[in-house]
Amino acid sequence: MTNDEILKTAEALRWEVGGDFHESLVENIYTNAAQLADRAISYPDKPPRFDLDRSIDRLVTSRVWGFPIMLLLLMVVFWLTISGANVPSAMLATLFLEIIYPFLKGLAASVGLPWWLDGLLIDGVYLATGWVISVMLPPMAIFFPLFTLLEDFGYLPRVAFNLDNFFKKAGAHGKQALSMSMGFGCNAAGVVATRIIDSPRERLIAIITNNFAMCNGRWPTQILVASIFIGGLVSAQWAGLISALAVVAITLLGVLLSFVVSWGLSRTVLRGEVSTFSLELPPYRPPRIWQTIYTSLIDRTLVVLWRAIIFAIPAGAAIWLVSNITVGGTSLAEYFINWSNPLGILVGLNGVILLAYVVAIPANEIVIPTILMLTTLVLGASGEGTGVMFELDSLKDTEVILRAGGWTLLTAVNLMLFSLIHNPCSTTIYTIYKETGSKRWTLVSAFLPVVMGFAVTFLVAQVWRLLGG
Amino acid sequence: MIDPLNALIIAAILTAISSWLFWPEKGLFWRWQQARQMTRRVLREDALKHIHDCEYHDRRPTVKSLAGSLRITDNEVSELLSEMQDHELVTFEGDQVKLSLQGRSYALHIIRAHRLWERYLADKTGYPEADWHSKSEHYEHLLTPADAEALANELGHPRYDPHGDPIPTAAGELAAIERLTLSNFPLDQPGRITHLEDEPEAVYAQLVAEGLHPGMSIRVVEVTPQRIVFWANGDEHILAPIIAANISVDTFSVEEAPEPVPHDHLNELKPNESVRVIGISKAIRGAERRRLMDLGILPGTTITAELRSPAGELTAYQVRGALIGLRDEQAALIDIEQGRL
Amino acid sequence: MKTTIPQAPSSACQTCPAHNVGNLTKLGIDMEEWDYVIALAGNPNTGKSTIFNALTGLRQHTGNWPGKTVTRAEGGFSFADKRYKIVDLPGTYSLLSTSLDEEVARDFILFGQPDVAVIVVDATRLERNLNLALQVLEITNRVVIALNLMDEARRHNIIVDERRLARDLGAPVVPTAARSREGIPELIQAIHQVATGQIVAKLHRLKNESPVLKKAINKLVRQIEAAFPGLPNARWVAIRLLDGDQRIIQAVQRGELGELAN
Repeated sequence: MTNDEILKTAEALRWEVGGDFHESLVENIYTNAAQLADRAISYPDKPPRFDLDRSIDRLVTSRVWGFPIMLLLLMVVFWLTISGANVPSAMLATLFLEIIYPFLKGLAASVGLPWWLDGLLIDGVYLATGWVISVMLPPMAIFFPLFTLLEDFGYLPRVAFNLDNFFKKAGAHGKQALSMSMGFGCNAAGVVATRIIDSPRERLIAIITNNFAMCNGRWPTQILVASIFIGGLVSAQWAGLISALAVVAITLLGVLLSFVVSWGLSRTVLRGEVSTFSLELPPYRPPRIWQTIYTSLIDRTLVVLWRAIIFAIPAGAAIWLVSNITVGGTSLAEYFINWSNPLGILVGLNGVILLAYVVAIPANEIVIPTILMLTTLVLGASGEGTGVMFELDSLKDTEVILRAGGWTLLTAVNLMLFSLIHNPCSTTIYTIYKETGSKRWTLVSAFLPVVMGFAVTFLVAQVWRLLGG
Repeated sequence: MIDPLNALIIAAILTAISSWLFWPEKGLFWRWQQARQMTRRVLREDALKHIHDCEYHDRRPTVKSLAGSLRITDNEVSELLSEMQDHELVTFEGDQVKLSLQGRSYALHIIRAHRLWERYLADKTGYPEADWHSKSEHYEHLLTPADAEALANELGHPRYDPHGDPIPTAAGELAAIERLTLSNFPLDQPGRITHLEDEPEAVYAQLVAEGLHPGMSIRVVEVTPQRIVFWANGDEHILAPIIAANISVDTFSVEEAPEPVPHDHLNELKPNESVRVIGISKAIRGAERRRLMDLGILPGTTITAELRSPAGELTAYQVRGALIGLRDEQAALIDIEQGRL
Repeated sequence: MKTTIPQAPSSACQTCPAHNVGNLTKLGIDMEEWDYVIALAGNPNTGKSTIFNALTGLRQHTGNWPGKTVTRAEGGFSFADKRYKIVDLPGTYSLLSTSLDEEVARDFILFGQPDVAVIVVDATRLERNLNLALQVLEITNRVVIALNLMDEARRHNIIVDERRLARDLGAPVVPTAARSREGIPELIQAIHQVATGQIVAKLHRLKNESPVLKKAINKLVRQIEAAFPGLPNARWVAIRLLDGDQRIIQAVQRGELGELAN
């Protein structure tokens, strides 16, 4: 009896058993399961109703309260992250930049390190790493546990349940809400999470649009710029709230954009009908708070931080090199800044910001330090700061430098927009390539947002100038 | 710096041009993409299919019938036929055109690709039924025999396309099936729809719009020269005899004939109501059907509507202890009893 | 990631405790340091990851949304001088569909031939969960049922008669509440007994099949048993072939099934 003969017999028998075979099979298993369960289970009172779960569900998916609760939770998570991260961030910055940095410089001088090695290692690599840790670690250590608590509690599927119809109208899969939520933590994680979507077409849409979920690495930029320029518009007691609102608004704009882009894709290159799906709403489980905090610190915070450090090291070296290698008395950085400045100005940004985004492709977290460093470089300020990434202690100092660099409210708004709408970081791009296995879709995912970012900032800049002069 | 007004005007013009070219669905580029498909090879393959279809149904393919089916002129048909003769795809016996052996296996490959692709669209994608045929008309020309085999593998070697037509095997065998149609089906006999003829398209679209599909149990209750009245899965339908002739029907043996019962659809279930499931409509197929069954939505299952999405069109149901969200159009294809529990 | 197979698959297995090192290494499991392999299967949201953590002492993150684990997680523990490797499979409702997560779980249980398959079952949703348990019991008889979330069941006033369930299923059933580590020592004990062959469950056979079906299955089973003598689950293979399951058809074609017979 050869193997092929078995298959032939099977093929022939398949005609006999009929097309309903699978159906009767599944029915049979469930019937068996039901009988077994029936024999094993008894209820001393009456069958359970899971009333608490239902009451929570009625509230978080209610017509009146469903969406406000979602927004409120988003606000609370942001606000806790913003306000909680301030102090530890400043402390870490003090440690890395005011205590360890001078110590390392002194050490280098005493062992007689050549100036270029000292610059590359300490002013470049060390400062970049120190900056990334002090900027990223505190907000992540607050955000990830909070988010993980919501996730463990079982709230995310309810978000998908509430938003489903919008995704459907956009031609996307309902579970895209889940991968988008994961993207708020880290886009690379969000891209991996799209595996829950079976249809390849809808999965690609979810992957390409995941970038519009504003990830952790972009918040420092959003928060800092919002605090200085938008919070500064109102009196001090309202500044925190207004800045948080601005960040939430940008986040919601990202959600809106992911609907719009999904809609466009599903009607052009990724044409097709919405596939049906079933969304399981798991029972709520009270999260175990300490364990969640521990695991999310180990599993997520440190993993993401480690990745950022790995990328910050070469980036730090690159920044130092482009600022310090000079051709004809002008550094490479200045060449690029002068060259790209007209484009930057046209879209309401400037050459410094554009260069910062090129340098920050590996990790979005280093955008702000790069901008500050390059701005002082262009201003020709001498002393410690030249060609060196550094952190300024107070928002006020940062503001002084930025205003001196020609920054206005427009620059700030457009930087926030561009930070939302630009290419994903290199880790995400690599993840997209691994997940799709396609160079073409990887390129689309990388370039589509950049083009959109320029278009949006351009429009805002022109309208702004027309109205405001 | 450019004056902002000028910049805006330039941008507006550029946007207008590019949206004229690339606007989703209606843009020139996307239309051009769709129109581009008509090529020589496509014509040749469509001609092969038409001739095979005629031979299969014992009709004579003629220049006229070819011209009508391919929507080209008689002259172009003659040109096409002589070209096909050169490629040894057809032979002429007098003025009668016949498929050569090579032509037949080519034609069967195209039919196989077409029906497999329909099966694929039906089982694995969410395209509406009315689109299957036209999409497969396109894809049948793109699949190589190896592609078709790979597709058959992926689909688990299906035997019938979603309309109930047999799929030729890779070796080029095609099962012949005998046809009773709804127009000549005896009164008050339990029967089952085995096939919906997908051409002409207008008629097929009407059948789909009626909600008819293979596998439905039917009972004809009235036949007049003007109309045929019949029940299909508990709903009454009225069709003109000429249209009913496009529906192939099979008799049930008496014991397996389920009484078509009047029923509701799951999307009609109001929150907090419970009901027993009668079955999943045959219009849900493939992976989607399996998924629903794996979730425990089977005949006799008790199901309760629990939550309604605030954005609408989605309801969460309690099924065997789990809370499952289903979209309305999917719930509409699950039949439930009329009485509530 | 493919690892090279360190020793000849079947011949070396007479001496090593894990009974299928060859197939496991093929699935990417490094078996150098382990005596037995345990697969952890179950529906989504049954506390499978919590059991995994309780057994291994690891703290794998457990999210609460369907589909979070698409790949396998691995860990290990020691008991009675034996080293156990645990593979946490994606949570699925069934093994019959063709989705990615179900394939991962099914392939591991069938082709990996773990020494023990622990099926985690939610005591508050028994019927739905037994659906999967029955499917696993058709593939392998090296099964322990972990009747988890007993705390939730008590809270909702549900009484589960685990002895009766064990008798009906023909497999050991251990009530657990993994969050509070209740029942974990007993679970480890049961795993040990199944792995060392002290307890042998029996393959489950579905009842109520139609005569036509029975005939077809029996005919196919005879052929399969002739071609692959010693295959433990010919009946299940026959049903999968009749259902047109591509992966199993492939396994028959390539003769992979032969490697499962011992």
